[in-house]
Amino acid sequence: MLRVAMMFVSSRAVAEEVVQEAWLGVLKGLDRFEGRSSLKTWIFRILTNTAKTRGEREGRSVPFSSLGGDAGDDEAPVDADRFFGDGHRWAGHWASSPRNPRDVPEERLLADEARQRIAAAIETLPENQRAVITLRDVDGFDADEACEILGISEVNQRVLLHRARTKVRSALGQYLDEEAAA
Amino acid sequence: MKWWQWSRRRSGPPQSRPEDISCREIVLIVNDYVEGALPVDEREAVEMHLNLCDGCTDYLDQLRISIELTGEVPTDPLAPEFEEELCFAFRSFTRP
Amino acid sequence: MTAYKFLRAGSVGPFTGFRWEPGQWVETDRAAPCETGVHACRVDDLPYWCSDELWEIELDGDVVSAGYKVVASRGRLVRRVEAWHKVAAQELADAAAARSRGLSDAKPRDAMLRAYAEDAERRAGQGKVYVATFIAAVAAEHAGGPPGRDAERAAQVDWFRRLLG
Repeated sequence: MLRVAMMFVSSRAVAEEVVQEAWLGVLKGLDRFEGRSSLKTWIFRILTNTAKTRGEREGRSVPFSSLGGDAGDDEAPVDADRFFGDGHRWAGHWASSPRNPRDVPEERLLADEARQRIAAAIETLPENQRAVITLRDVDGFDADEACEILGISEVNQRVLLHRARTKVRSALGQYLDEEAAA
Repeated sequence: MKWWQWSRRRSGPPQSRPEDISCREIVLIVNDYVEGALPVDEREAVEMHLNLCDGCTDYLDQLRISIELTGEVPTDPLAPEFEEELCFAFRSFTRP
Repeated sequence: MTAYKFLRAGSVGPFTGFRWEPGQWVETDRAAPCETGVHACRVDDLPYWCSDELWEIELDGDVVSAGYKVVASRGRLVRRVEAWHKVAAQELADAAAARSRGLSDAKPRDAMLRAYAEDAERRAGQGKVYVATFIAAVAAEHAGGPPGRDAERAAQVDWFRRLLG
């Protein structure tokens, strides 16, 4: 929840206050909860509303969709040189294909090293991508719930998720390449 | 326009056959495939391609595993004093 | 209606991972291609979906035809096509590669066609059956345009017809 709150406010300290305020909002509003969404979604919605209000009061009224910006996201999901180039009879097909994750012994895959790489990749994501991948793949919300919580469109959610997961996959891919070379 | 946007538009010889989808295009849409968000004809193209392409099958497996590993990343633990404050707020909350 | 279904070793659906029990009806509430329903092949679709096991499947309920498959709301595996096994699949691949080689020999100055034929032979040699048949189709299109490709795929379908008897 702290991670989501931090998307909208200026500091961790303020985010902690937001989380606290949100929980109080939950307690006060609990008897009004109609069960149209899951309880968890409803709680997170209160959180984002609280965070946005606080963010606006601080003078931060940046629309969610532009948080993080699009500039660095013109990166291709995979280095172009891993595919055959135009003019080759197999243009667009793998020249240097990804490692089969099953080639790596399971212990290595589940090792802390792999997890650390993933965690590090998530930390470097722009805020909006980080929020979406956190809600979806860490907190386990589905696509509709994530859209509801963040107040974004289905298309927007999917684009951000694609970019975030692509970067995380890339970190894993690199780890596997290194493991195979070792 | 960036290279992957260009290839997404499939300029060049018309690719009417779903199996002609390239690995480069697969990588662009594979997350939509996982999300179940592809239109029917693209989904079929992806599956036909996966059936014959080890590289893309491995890419998809990597994507699925990285989603799993993401789920296991420990989230920010609450600072102890903050947790205490929260508990205090809960305990002293009285319904109006 | 009778159709065919390719499964991975262990009677597992190649994309869903669903484990099939021979003889047991599998039902979904509707047939929506690529979303839900039992997916199966007509004979003409077989070359595109090759996998470890080939089964005869009985389809029932709503049956919808789509692209390169049929989709039904109910289906059950009837009988395994024992004739489809590694050795037979290798024959399919070798035949396809041989046709590519034939096309290349007929056009000795076409370097790309020769490269395709070599790719097909190499993949067939590696036992990568489905890749070899795909390459053969691409080679045939290079040599003879879309009709050439259709002819190659038709030759592969004929091979399956003979297999199925």
